[in-house]
Amino acid sequence: MKAWLPALLAGRLIRLAWLLPLAAVGLFTLISLAPIDPVQAYVGGRTSQIGPEQRDAIAAAWGLDRPAVERFANWLGQLARGDLGQSITFNAPVMQVIAARLPASLALIGLAFVLSFVLGTALGLVAGATRGRWPDRVIRTIAVVMAASPGFWVAILLVAFFAVGLGWLPACCATPPGQLAAEVTLADRWRHMVLPVATLSVVGIAPLVLHTRQSLVAFLDSPAARHLSAHGATPLHLAFGPGLRHAAGVALTLHLAGAGELFGGSVLAEAVFAWPGLGQATVRAATGADAPLLMGIGLATLLFVFAGNLLADVAARLADPRLRGPA
Amino acid sequence: MFRPLSTMAIALSLMLPVQADARPLVLAIGGEPDGGFDPIMGWGHYGNPLFQSTLLRYDAGLNLIGDLAEDWILSEDGLVWQLRLRGDAMFSDGTPLTAEDVAFTYNTARAAGGLADLTVLKEARALDATTVELELTEPRITFVSRLATLGIVPAASYGSDYARYPVGSGPFKMVEWREGEQLVVEPNPHWHGGAIAFERVSFVFGSEEAGQALARTGTADLVAVPPSLADAAPSGMKVLHVDTVDNRGLAFPMVFRTGGTTAAGTPIGNDVTADRAIRVAINQALDREALVALALNGHGRPATGPADGLPWDNPEAAIPGNDPAAAMETLETGGWTDTDGDGIREKDGLRAAFQVLYPASDSTRQALALGASDQLREIGIDAQPSGSSWDEIGALMHSEVVVLGWGAHDPSEIFYLHHGDYAGVDYYNTGHYANPTVDAHLEAAEAAPSFDASLAEWKAAAWDGETGFSLKGDATWAWMVNLDHSYWVSDCLDLGPLQVHPHGHGFPITHDLPSWRWTCE
Repeated sequence: MKAWLPALLAGRLIRLAWLLPLAAVGLFTLISLAPIDPVQAYVGGRTSQIGPEQRDAIAAAWGLDRPAVERFANWLGQLARGDLGQSITFNAPVMQVIAARLPASLALIGLAFVLSFVLGTALGLVAGATRGRWPDRVIRTIAVVMAASPGFWVAILLVAFFAVGLGWLPACCATPPGQLAAEVTLADRWRHMVLPVATLSVVGIAPLVLHTRQSLVAFLDSPAARHLSAHGATPLHLAFGPGLRHAAGVALTLHLAGAGELFGGSVLAEAVFAWPGLGQATVRAATGADAPLLMGIGLATLLFVFAGNLLADVAARLADPRLRGPA
Repeated sequence: MFRPLSTMAIALSLMLPVQADARPLVLAIGGEPDGGFDPIMGWGHYGNPLFQSTLLRYDAGLNLIGDLAEDWILSEDGLVWQLRLRGDAMFSDGTPLTAEDVAFTYNTARAAGGLADLTVLKEARALDATTVELELTEPRITFVSRLATLGIVPAASYGSDYARYPVGSGPFKMVEWREGEQLVVEPNPHWHGGAIAFERVSFVFGSEEAGQALARTGTADLVAVPPSLADAAPSGMKVLHVDTVDNRGLAFPMVFRTGGTTAAGTPIGNDVTADRAIRVAINQALDREALVALALNGHGRPATGPADGLPWDNPEAAIPGNDPAAAMETLETGGWTDTDGDGIREKDGLRAAFQVLYPASDSTRQALALGASDQLREIGIDAQPSGSSWDEIGALMHSEVVVLGWGAHDPSEIFYLHHGDYAGVDYYNTGHYANPTVDAHLEAAEAAPSFDASLAEWKAAAWDGETGFSLKGDATWAWMVNLDHSYWVSDCLDLGPLQVHPHGHGFPITHDLPSWRWTCE
């Protein structure tokens, strides 16, 4: 019954096999061409305290005095031994930097992913079922406004309203300032997640609402739906019954394929909420031209998005049997 | 929907016991060292090193006083520092700090390739348990800055994870560091410096906005804020503007364009600014008070030199400015007159025009460039503001005027900015300035037998009565403003006397953190 699965997986693995090296070369080329001097970025505001001789020593210590090709070859050699290299910015192994920050980011992204999927699909279905009437118009207006709102701006509005104005929710951070990790209660952790997750969800909800609404509208216009309707099924019944099945495939594909955007959105959300995740580390790595860390994060993101797309294809085929033909 | 949350918040706050005596302190002043708290890689440069202590330290007046070292002498040839350590210093793990640890720290940092520049150190040696000798490769009095900033690490336990689990003889010990989020420290019971008024200090990192929000919700006790926001302090907090040497000025190309280029192929020299009359007239004309009001919202001081108010600054070298009449006279005498009536002066067919480059992303430098340009137009100089990337600035800074900023607690900056050997090296002496007398003063300062003795030479380099790099002499820069660094401070927090702060807003304020006091019950 799942004969399509092995073929799909094999195809994707082959794609990954040429995509990864290509991405590695591309990334490294971009980083080497970036107009940032890693030594100057590392020295930063201490220019007057670090003399030219020490700069040379720094370059030598981090291997930055070697040609780009040689540095890439070194990096590949390390990779073959399972070592992603040493981050200049964080003065620690890249693997350790990513491992320390990934869980916080994944918690944020995962929750936002689920929340925006549930909300987006449900709102889309309601809008489709009430086509042309006021719920549809309200939902569509909200969706368009959300689609046009930059994530960081939404974040600042949410903080101004819920944290500073009403004082209901914390304005930043993953835990209350001044407390040790061991002292933080689970309730506190959840409270601190509300605003960042809400911010990040906004990125994903709008397109889902509009696409789900569109696919439901298409279904409601089909002979099948008219037939059911003639038998007395109400639009809402149709929407959340057979309509859901029709819309879910599209919604899942769209949402999972958009996982990369969620990753990008998390960079902004983490910056505003001082969330200790990979997003902040990415910004530091980029501004510091920290090649090993950027390569590590870049490849991890690639795998993440690739897995998202693969899951999207699998999920869409599970939800919609019509797609299970030869891939 | 939010009722359960707020109820829960109240319940939680009731569950947390209120500390009666020492209280926790929450600071949102940035300054998280991405690479961790390893002095050997450069931690502890400004502000309090928290976990480590240093051989010497600066007091609020930037005078050198002992910390780990009880007394110290520099050999007559200026090559060997001998320091005697206090006997009671202990690391936070309870082991004693000895001269071996000091020697280990200095020798390791010299070879590490981090952000502690010890290239002038030849070798550090422990003579006995409390005496250490630091031998230099050449006389370099600014090495005292290293003595005052390099925290000592324990030789026995220093390893690759030190940066994240530091152990030192400083006022605090690390409790927890959640990277990108917050650092929690508690007083080190073994510290030799006395009692600390806080049972716990938390440094919240993350964005400026997050820090402000924490202040508005009453969570943070000290927050670094941009000057534009500073005056709107939330209730329970007062505004603090700290004087700094975080300065901004116009760096002039000092030589004529002769077709020479740097190693990177960018042009050197500018025929307009190479004329001293132009540089002096600019310094005479600039109304620095007006620039402070315009670009800094009034939160700053006029700047007349690279280190205003620091011990090695020469107040004699300053001129008041805001005197367009004198500036125009200087230009007339120098042969710059407006012959074609377009409002801009010329000399031998050369217009008094140049670009003023500033990084387009920096609104303060932009306002300074525009403001200076307006003021200079009145005396017939066409200074054209031009927003650029740092890349473009790097290519043009040897041939056009640039808005640059400096301001370190270290006179070696004076050396780098004005010595002929640093002409065209990095951002130091961008104008390719070289004056043998100034070079001699700078070298004499570095070779001085003591830090106090070097001060006279630093001052003489600025103006020795006949020449110097300052406005009275060669006028290598037109310094404009020193920025204020602004903070919101809890009404209950007493910070004591403050230093003139260096370039870099935020963490330097912690320099005297161990002596801060809480004044409310």
